[in-house]
Amino acid sequence: MKKSYLFVLVSLMIVMSVVLGACAPAATPEPAAEAPAEAPVVATEVPATEVPAPVAIRYWHTMSDAEAAKLDEVIAAFEAANPGITVEATRYAYGDFKTAILTAIAGGDVPDTARMDIAWVSEFASQGALMQLDGAMPDFDTIAASVFPGPLSTNKWDGHYYGLPQNTNTQVLVYNKASFEAAGIAAAPTTMEEFATVACALTDTAKGTYGFAEGGTYFWAPAPIFYAMGGKVTDPEITTATGYVNSAESVAAFTMLKDLYDKGCLSPNLLGGGIATDAGQGTGIYGMIIDGPWMVDIYKGNYPDLKYDFALIPAGPNGTSSVVGGEDVVILGGSKNAEAAQKWVSYLMSVDTQKALAQVGVMPTIASLTGDASLPAYFGIFMEQLKTAQARVPSPKWSDMDNAINNAYQRILKGEQAPQAALDQAAAEIDALLVK
Amino acid sequence: MSQTTRSEKKRNQILPAIIFLIPGFTLLFVFFLGPLLYSFRISFYQWNFAHPDRSVFVGLANYITQLTNPIFHRAILNTFAYTLITVSLKMVLGFFVALVLNQKIPARSFFRVAYYLPVITSWVIVSLLFMYMFSGMGGLVNYFLKDVLHVISKNIMWLADPILALIPVILVDIWKGVGWATVIFLSGLQSIPMELLEAAEVDGASPWQRLIKIILPLMRGTIVFLIVVLLLGGLNSYVPFQLITHGNPMDQTHSILTLMYRATFTRMDFGNGAAISYLLTLFVFALSIIQLKLLNKPIGE
Repeated sequence: MKKSYLFVLVSLMIVMSVVLGACAPAATPEPAAEAPAEAPVVATEVPATEVPAPVAIRYWHTMSDAEAAKLDEVIAAFEAANPGITVEATRYAYGDFKTAILTAIAGGDVPDTARMDIAWVSEFASQGALMQLDGAMPDFDTIAASVFPGPLSTNKWDGHYYGLPQNTNTQVLVYNKASFEAAGIAAAPTTMEEFATVACALTDTAKGTYGFAEGGTYFWAPAPIFYAMGGKVTDPEITTATGYVNSAESVAAFTMLKDLYDKGCLSPNLLGGGIATDAGQGTGIYGMIIDGPWMVDIYKGNYPDLKYDFALIPAGPNGTSSVVGGEDVVILGGSKNAEAAQKWVSYLMSVDTQKALAQVGVMPTIASLTGDASLPAYFGIFMEQLKTAQARVPSPKWSDMDNAINNAYQRILKGEQAPQAALDQAAAEIDALLVK
Repeated sequence: MSQTTRSEKKRNQILPAIIFLIPGFTLLFVFFLGPLLYSFRISFYQWNFAHPDRSVFVGLANYITQLTNPIFHRAILNTFAYTLITVSLKMVLGFFVALVLNQKIPARSFFRVAYYLPVITSWVIVSLLFMYMFSGMGGLVNYFLKDVLHVISKNIMWLADPILALIPVILVDIWKGVGWATVIFLSGLQSIPMELLEAAEVDGASPWQRLIKIILPLMRGTIVFLIVVLLLGGLNSYVPFQLITHGNPMDQTHSILTLMYRATFTRMDFGNGAAISYLLTLFVFALSIIQLKLLNKPIGE
């Protein structure tokens, strides 16, 4: 009898512990809100009179092995140039990173700086979790003027900048040269019509090969084709999606993908439960994929014998295009060492640092570095693609918008809705998000 | 005289009792009740996690958003279907495995260990293994169905279908959970006095009659305990859903907790996350009351 109550209690605790996990850190958020206002005052007054106490800047990131090793060199150089400031870098897995930052903010114990996905900056900024950099950081204007405008725009929220583009990337066509030779195709497709033809020419149902594969249905995957076909998600002012995400161009992009899927030229893996794009291309199953500069490292490590090459995204009616990716470096609102954090951010944005990290495959954002002889040769095609690549909608509602398009794409592929009807529904869903 | 000394004695016992309870209650309040109430408050706000003072009170809006959301409805349906199927199959399979392992069969210890091994393996690894087994391209399950048994002519895209995608989720839970149910059933079986069974055998009761008339009634406590714990575990299911389906396709394969996680940590909407938690709590609470009623009946009658 008593036991039963105990078990009910224990089980209720299981449920509650989940609630706790989500919300317990929020219990002490007040210091985080007040700290930034006071901290800089202390920091500026002390050094004038006596030896500054050593300041430790925390920097959170999601770098790869090679990048993290290079970062250690960058940190050593920064510390040598800025005595009294040390940098403690912490590395996270991408999948855990948002949760980690969120928990830190809610708990009031934040890292001073972080390198986060460009799609997150407006989300965090809209909650007041990031420090406004324009007007606060002495050399903000100089740095902002030196970087590509596309990546910079991802830091803008409500008229102000809350970060700087630390690195950028985009997706291009990656094709397996052996598959192309076997099918007697001489060169990568340059137009969308050619692309569709080549995708089916590379497909062999008997052998189980597919001409083209996407990693999933989340927006990032079809985005290069979507943008190259002239698709848009919202108007530039981000007020409505109707007439944009369901425009004739947007519908044409998804119709083309649906046709490829129905003909068996687009691998069914994108709906879940299939062979990943890198493994598929590495083993000769997928002829073409669309992916980013990190593929060089992945293929070097996993498929060293693979013969592949890059090409621009095939041109749609208005030429080629793709999607801008990358990461922004931000200073968190709760940082107690904002002044030192600004120095670290400036250092990360310096030409030397950008060149150093470029050696391990991180693409710089400083415009003057385009064509620089010290950059890896394969950056050329990505730099070229970046000229026409478009940023995803910089809105705190982006993850919901992404989900709306993702679900529309799945309904289209499964034949539950025609492309027009599915995108009309996505437009209505996104409009509802923009009203709030 | 004796009356007063007794009450004095009682009073003398109360103070130390309170002192001994304080640490426990403090921990309970700081780490359990306090945050519980705090998140209850969050569920009524459009919560700003960076600046709670900027949060906007929205009344029941978060609850209404969830209760009118078809994705949430589907998540409830998934969670309940999953719980019902996994609990009943784990109970039935666990009971029969326990019956077999309770006999004097060869290599009994080996089988006991073998059935318990899945219980202590990592959820994450096992979930990913099942995901690969049910892969639509080159998965083991498709290979057996198509190339070995020739039941299907073309690969099934298990994870691309809102119903089929739940099969690996359910199977992994059953595979992993049977061993635990078996252990509990075994301990229940071993607490049944051998004399009863021997006496029944002498009286000419068939094995079936012994099962129905003696073993099951005497195991009522064990059975109810298992139902309670397994049901609550099922309703709180998160890992297999999150790792195998991610809610795909079309947000049709969420469990209540994967939706809660997404609301809170992907969409940074703590208010809706807290509202989902409290809605789940409500279901669990209602279920607990029903179960308490069941438990209040005397055992073994």
